[in-house]
Amino acid sequence: MNKTQINSIGFSLSSDRVSVIILLIPALIFCTVFIFIPAFWAIVGSFYSYGMTSLNDWKWVGFDNYIKASQDEFFWIALKNNFIIVFASIVLQVGVGTILAAILDRGIKYGKVIFRTIIFTPMVISSVAVSIIWLLIYDPNFGILNNILKAIGLPTPTMGWLGDPDISIWMIMIVAGWQNTGFMMVLILAGLQGVSKEVYDAAEIDGATGVKAFWYITLPMIRNILIVAILITTIGAFKVFEFVYVLTQGGPSNATQVLGTYIYLQAFNLLHMGYANALSVILLIIALILGWFQLKASRRA
Amino acid sequence: MSKFKLANIFAYGFVTLFSIYVLLPIIVMILTTFKTRKEIFLEPLGLPGQFNFSSFEKALSIGLGGFIFNSFLVSLFSVILIVIISGMAAYVLARIDFRINRYVYLLIVAGFAIPPAAVLVPLYVTVSNLGLLNSIYGVVMPLTAFGIPFTVILFYAFFLDFPKEVEEAATIDGCSKMQIFFRIIIPLSGPAIASAAIFQTVWIWNEFLLALIMLTSDEVKTLPLGLMKLRGEWSSDWPSIMAGLTIAILPVLIVFLIFQKYFVRSLAGLGK
Repeated sequence: MNKTQINSIGFSLSSDRVSVIILLIPALIFCTVFIFIPAFWAIVGSFYSYGMTSLNDWKWVGFDNYIKASQDEFFWIALKNNFIIVFASIVLQVGVGTILAAILDRGIKYGKVIFRTIIFTPMVISSVAVSIIWLLIYDPNFGILNNILKAIGLPTPTMGWLGDPDISIWMIMIVAGWQNTGFMMVLILAGLQGVSKEVYDAAEIDGATGVKAFWYITLPMIRNILIVAILITTIGAFKVFEFVYVLTQGGPSNATQVLGTYIYLQAFNLLHMGYANALSVILLIIALILGWFQLKASRRA
Repeated sequence: MSKFKLANIFAYGFVTLFSIYVLLPIIVMILTTFKTRKEIFLEPLGLPGQFNFSSFEKALSIGLGGFIFNSFLVSLFSVILIVIISGMAAYVLARIDFRINRYVYLLIVAGFAIPPAAVLVPLYVTVSNLGLLNSIYGVVMPLTAFGIPFTVILFYAFFLDFPKEVEEAATIDGCSKMQIFFRIIIPLSGPAIASAAIFQTVWIWNEFLLALIMLTSDEVKTLPLGLMKLRGEWSSDWPSIMAGLTIAILPVLIVFLIFQKYFVRSLAGLGK
């Protein structure tokens, strides 16, 4: 013990080098084997053509898979849908979540815990189960949505809620909003509860109360949490898979494809492994850009 | 005064409407379970004529219990691995001044950003090469890997706020870093471990994409895959499908309602 060197935070270098390596290595092995090496092979594989049955029979095709993507109408639809989901989620989930959080924080006196519990509940239900319930709600014959509209004499879409390419992506957003808004509400509520009462008292003296106080005082104070909420939502919007897979399988005629479902379709239904890799690499680049923003935002916060 | 009342009405009205939007699908699910197939066709908006439990029997007969058991095992193994491995790594990053730490942290953040769909084909090949297709370990391993980065970030923030004095005292008493981690840090990290475990359990219990590509035979399928099987086999037998969903969802809902304070607290901490 006496011989070992003690540094500023007090640990002995020789034995700690071993400890550090043992503590760090499992995490590095897992991430390397199942995330980083696959990411590397996705990039390599995107320059080849191969299928499920010919994993050892790779054919070099250069940039062909990327050129194919640039000319693939459905790839662009999928990418566009991911961006629609990003913006719609920010408005519906972060926006409505902020309003709900503000109301629960200072807008109402009674039932705060009950409302918070109810609105947060969908977060713990699996997206697959959620989507199947909504399949029944949207069902043209058995669903309550159509039957309520018929009962009060309103028109229903002739191709069904999920069969009409103009509205189906928005129907998916209603389901996504149902599941995720409560999470955003809780996240933002935690930020709001960090704003001290003195701030509101001071604002009241200056004549700012209610909505005005919220807009000019509270929102700027929870700016960092809002940025985190928007980033989590954006990253989540590029991970969307279950809602689309269960509700529409990407249809009608690929109108609701997203990158996740389109990569799955190309890889495991059509067995275009090389092409699926090229699409994965595009998703990878988007994800890493978003990750970089996340890093910047978390450092500032 | 009247303006104040209007704001109050709007506030209560908004949260009440949103709560109805949230509760309605759950009510539809439970009511449909007790209806007969004739009732949902003739009176989609009506209440069930009598409580009819045959749908539950049918849903259980398809082996829902097995799917729930598989999901339980996958969640249990993955969450234990994620918490231990991430805790160890985060401790090194937060406490030990090691030259490579900066790069390790960057790698971890990159790992957090990469979604499974971005590595789907090579990941499938990796699991296949390890001989783990159609085994629950074929999803436990990749799910652990994808859970680690986020959990490391969570623990890292927690350990940074952790008082250093205790560890310094232990060091003087001759404990190695390993001993300090397992005997002092872990027992004092209850809240962080609970947060991480709750968040990962919710995510892994519900994970679908990796299970979908790795698990194709019924004996190893997890609950979300089992629910898709109900949906696929019974297409328009909605009472039985909803009975299956109710059986799958109810235990989770009950656990959530009992521990909702901790759920909310653990997820709320993410924004920090």
